[in-house]
Amino acid sequence: MTRILEAKGVSKWYGQVIAVNKVSFSVGPGVTGLLGPNGAGKSTLMKLITGQLRPSQGELTLWGERIWNNYPLFYRMGFCPEQDSFYDRMTGAEFVAALLRLHGFSETEVNQRTDSALQQVNLVEARDKKIGAYSKGMRQRIKLAQAVAHDPELLVLDEPLAGMDPVARKETIRFIRILGKAGKCVIVSSHILHEIEAMTSNILLIHNGQVLAEGDVHDIRDLIDKHPHHIYIRCSEPRRAAELLVAFPDVVSIRFHPESNALTLESRNPDEFYSRLPGLLLRHEIALEEITSPDDNLQAVFHYLVK
Amino acid sequence: MTGRFRIAKGWRDMKTIAYLTLDTLFWSKKTIFVVFISLVVLGMAVLGRLVLSYNWIRAPFTPAQVFSTLMSTAVIHFMVVFVTLFYGTALISEEVEGKTLTYLFLRPIPKPAIMVGKYLALVWTSVLLVLPTVVFSYLILYLRDDLRPFWEDAGVLGKDIGIVFLALLAYGAFFSLLGAWLKHPILAGLIYAFGWEGIVSYLPGFTRKLTVTHYIQSIFPHENAPASLAMLFGERTQAPEAVSTLLLMTALFLAAACLVLREKEYVLEQ
Repeated sequence: MTRILEAKGVSKWYGQVIAVNKVSFSVGPGVTGLLGPNGAGKSTLMKLITGQLRPSQGELTLWGERIWNNYPLFYRMGFCPEQDSFYDRMTGAEFVAALLRLHGFSETEVNQRTDSALQQVNLVEARDKKIGAYSKGMRQRIKLAQAVAHDPELLVLDEPLAGMDPVARKETIRFIRILGKAGKCVIVSSHILHEIEAMTSNILLIHNGQVLAEGDVHDIRDLIDKHPHHIYIRCSEPRRAAELLVAFPDVVSIRFHPESNALTLESRNPDEFYSRLPGLLLRHEIALEEITSPDDNLQAVFHYLVK
Repeated sequence: MTGRFRIAKGWRDMKTIAYLTLDTLFWSKKTIFVVFISLVVLGMAVLGRLVLSYNWIRAPFTPAQVFSTLMSTAVIHFMVVFVTLFYGTALISEEVEGKTLTYLFLRPIPKPAIMVGKYLALVWTSVLLVLPTVVFSYLILYLRDDLRPFWEDAGVLGKDIGIVFLALLAYGAFFSLLGAWLKHPILAGLIYAFGWEGIVSYLPGFTRKLTVTHYIQSIFPHENAPASLAMLFGERTQAPEAVSTLLLMTALFLAAACLVLREKEYVLEQ
């Protein structure tokens, strides 16, 4: 993986309070979700990544260069802050254009890029409206527009979906996924698990200022071997299936759902379980209707890790 | 990046920041207050003119004396200080309070360019609001049938404009530094302007040279009570030295403000 962002033992403290505690990780192209509850240290980490704060300890680099007071890096980086703050007297187009001018673009380019950015976030019709009169969702989108307008290689988005209506949320998720697929490095934070899950399976789990896990959600799940993996099975004969499955040493519990003709079991070795299940059901002529794992949901992974 | 390109881009960045700041600075509640102060000064000039024209007070007042009093008390020691205090301290602290500083800090421009750009906006706004008040006060007091005094004292008006400009530069840079540095810059600025300067200017010895007002009083072309009292305890600084010290102070305060902005971590409260 090409490493764009690299943190080595990074800590940040404010007086006696540790906000980020010796975190080490690296991020490459694609969408990476920074996940954690409120107060976990996500925003501090984002501020460190964007050079708004200086690490108290450790090394944080972008493309191999230190970030603090290294302003040329901002040609390649865009940031969508969490806070809902603007120059309210400006229109959406004026806001994006004013910030674009600081990148050294010519007036023609500024106008073209402003139009393009507003189009990307569906704000063309509201371009000449004062930001002070924007709805919360529109304000979120104009923040996103200023972050992408200069076409950066790295995008850092702090809670970008907060306050958006479902349609805008869906559109923004799609937009972020497109950026990721286009090879951009997108780091997006959220405390809402399904939001991150809809954007990416590549996550950084942060809690109490520490990175608890890093990587694909399924890989992370594999790391938690002390927690059995939940598997939901709906089939023609759940009781008979349970009788057969309980004989396997990795299966530690089975729970029935009579109303839906299903069962949920816990396995300590899910890979092995998945490989032998089809043959077993076939041999005993039990029709499999549905098999899912609630643990593939980030909520479950997060729940396990923080506990 | 070549040196010439870097200078051109730096200048363009500062101008963009200045335009951005002008809008927020000018269209703020502070401007209403500054315009009010300006109207009070002009009102005082009108009152002075009425006194002179209709001999309301049996005292030998001349337009020059009224203008001198107005300049020393209302303009230099009040208007200039308040305008630069309110606008200067707001340059960075309002961006911090409004949490908009992030948008500027995450652009490919050095932080000192942000500071200088904002300072340029402060100077422009202050000049726009203060200097017309000086000129209009002069016109109100001097315009009459006999235009000889008007032309005779035009040189003094020119000097006053220059001194007010220098005062705006120096106080502006100092209050910009406070705004970039402190969490409650207005309080610190008030303590400096009306505490430190008020006391130290009248103390004998070197400490009076640690104030902006000493150098302004040294080149002030009018005789006025506070300046005369202050000069009782020590000598004026020679005009060339006073002017160059004011310019040097401006440069030093501005450089310090740039350094603070570059090195300080601004934690924008969520």
